Amino acid sequence: MKQAIYGLVLYIFLMLPPVVTLAESVMAIHMHMQMPLFVVAGFLMAPFFQKRFPNFFAKWNSNGVPGIILFMIIVLYWLLPRTMDEALTIPAVEIFKFISLPFLAGIPLRDSWKKLGSLGKNIIYVSLSVLFGVMAWLYIASPTQLCNNYLIVEQKTLGWGFVFLALAIMIYFIQTLFIDKSEYE
Amino acid sequence: MEAVVKNTFGSKVNEVAGVNKQDARITLTFFTVAFIAFFLGCVLGLLQGLNRAGLLELPAWLNYYQVLSGHGVLLVLVFSTTFMLGYFLAAFSHTLGGLLPKVRKMAWVGFALMVVGVVFVATTIIMGDASVMYTFYPPMAASPWFYVGLVFLVLGIWAVLFGGFINVADWRKKHKGQHLPLLAYFATGAFVLFFFGSIGVTIEVLMIIPWAFGWTETINVMLSRTLFWSFGHTLVNIWYLTAVSSWYVAVPKLIGGKLLSDSLARLVVIILVVLNITGGFHHQIIDPGITEGIKFMHVFMSLSIAFPSLMTAFAMFAVFERTGRKKGAKGLLGWIKKLPWGDVRFLAPMIAMIGFIPAGAGGIAQTNNQLNQVVHNSMWVVGHFHLTLGVTVVLSFCGIAYWLIPHLTKRVLTPKINKLGVIQTIVWSLGMLFMSGAMHWVGLLGSPRRTSYTTYGDNATALGWDPYLLFLAVGGTLLIIGAVLMVYIVFHLMFKAPKGETEFPIAEAEEDASETPKWTERWTLWIALMIAIVAMAYVIPIVDMIVNAPPGSPPFRTW
Repeated sequence: MKQAIYGLVLYIFLMLPPVVTLAESVMAIHMHMQMPLFVVAGFLMAPFFQKRFPNFFAKWNSNGVPGIILFMIIVLYWLLPRTMDEALTIPAVEIFKFISLPFLAGIPLRDSWKKLGSLGKNIIYVSLSVLFGVMAWLYIASPTQLCNNYLIVEQKTLGWGFVFLALAIMIYFIQTLFIDKSEYE
Repeated sequence: MEAVVKNTFGSKVNEVAGVNKQDARITLTFFTVAFIAFFLGCVLGLLQGLNRAGLLELPAWLNYYQVLSGHGVLLVLVFSTTFMLGYFLAAFSHTLGGLLPKVRKMAWVGFALMVVGVVFVATTIIMGDASVMYTFYPPMAASPWFYVGLVFLVLGIWAVLFGGFINVADWRKKHKGQHLPLLAYFATGAFVLFFFGSIGVTIEVLMIIPWAFGWTETINVMLSRTLFWSFGHTLVNIWYLTAVSSWYVAVPKLIGGKLLSDSLARLVVIILVVLNITGGFHHQIIDPGITEGIKFMHVFMSLSIAFPSLMTAFAMFAVFERTGRKKGAKGLLGWIKKLPWGDVRFLAPMIAMIGFIPAGAGGIAQTNNQLNQVVHNSMWVVGHFHLTLGVTVVLSFCGIAYWLIPHLTKRVLTPKINKLGVIQTIVWSLGMLFMSGAMHWVGLLGSPRRTSYTTYGDNATALGWDPYLLFLAVGGTLLIIGAVLMVYIVFHLMFKAPKGETEFPIAEAEEDASETPKWTERWTLWIALMIAIVAMAYVIPIVDMIVNAPPGSPPFRTW
């Protein structure tokens, strides 16, 4: 339960107005730090909800697939340049971001991850890294501004961030194929 | 040298459990190179000190900057690396039940590559073609072979590091569910940090080589500097981590105490590994082309590295106090008297720790933007790292040598040598006190670093530095005495000391110690976290440096 409290603290911290302003002032921080941290906050808070509503998770997410699909939908949604712009200009979308990332992506991710088999996990690793690779290409190669609120140079920075993210996931994935953790622990 | 080592071991037929003679030979070979480099580096240091004080005019064939580059490379790159690798290989051998034959081979291959690298580097410096200081970043360009040598050096280091990883993985496979022994844990942390820290500099060197050969015309200076410092800062913290490992593991045993907390020590390793690489930016506080926001973020990131050091200070003094009280110390500070001050194996690391109090405080001061403006590129900085590296790291390394070398050669540290060691420690500390103190002070008065002696046309301010610079020469002279003593002790312990058994001191946990949490063994997690933090710190400024790069610089030879 300690984790859930840490998650809640992180969640509140991320929503403090100066933190929000700082995090959203740089495109790469907005997408690669603020948004993932909201997911992490939800991930940490998940045990509280799992204990509180065990039946709900058992009924709707028995094999982990619905949860992970929900997670992917939310992630995909927030990868679009337009949604980032809207989060900055329309308060309702900003609030939706604060709710969707922790509660509709972070919590289902934690609940689903243990339930997924290795095939499901591998599919997620591969599709996320491919997806991020495509996003990297989009943001680096685009000759025009994709977000009204951010400059082209920031866009390219974000693109390179995606390259490293995709690479990191790929390396982790390949590592799981070769190293059997149970041999060591 | 090699032949003598072989004979000594060959004559020893009875192998007592504990020291694997093949493993010992690796460590002793690394140490031999380390202390030869140490001696040569100190001699060059003395020349510089005397020159800076205006007492010695270097001959025309020996340039001040050449001496400076040699001093830096020999001490910061060669001495520290070879000592650290040798020490941690001995640690793996002792705590993990011997090195695997494969790993031993990798260590030798690594050693050979490093020797080749050092030969390239040293030759170009001696020829006067590489007076680019040990930081070697553009736009100053050395002979391309200098950088080729650095590539060999890095490859050699990687061979040893991966040998270490293989040994640890093998041990963990055979000891499922057990914690890695603490000293091996420190070694793993330092090796992980070394590998990831060296990636940046490797990319930099691979950028420099075609530029130095003239295949590419220009180079991005800011990018090279940034990649260099991502490594440069990590490197000093790797030596520090090495020194700290002996404080946690060996020192409590030597004073007859116990380990304060196994979990705390492991947490210190984890924090140092995760947070370190991003600290490099505080070396670039004055660099243009990095926005203030990024610099602000990096001040925060650099200061966070001070946190584990404070944990270490707490842990160490807690051990001292507990041990002193167990021995019957009374009053608030009575335990200080119960410490074995006459034992050099304790005295050297103890002075190292005490030296780290002003050294660390000075480092924290320099990390701050405004305070850094006062001392940037002044002699203060040189004073600072002669405290951190010259006192904290060197004395800890000497402290290790006093027990590790006799342990490996199956000899003993005699009371006579112990006494000589105490004298060495005191001479060295006094020398550093004079030298580093003078450097700090004269730096505050504005004297620049990396500058040969000059009075700037008898400018009053510059003349005002001279009395302090004299102290620098006095300190330097004391230090060379300390260096000669140390090298004598090291080789005496290797070849001449009487035979006997010396223990590899490993502190035990307290009886009521709480169990170390499982998560400390999750190296994948810590490495992932480190990469995430490096990405957070570096992606934005580096893309900015590449995308908005100025035209780039051709190579310069300023000497």
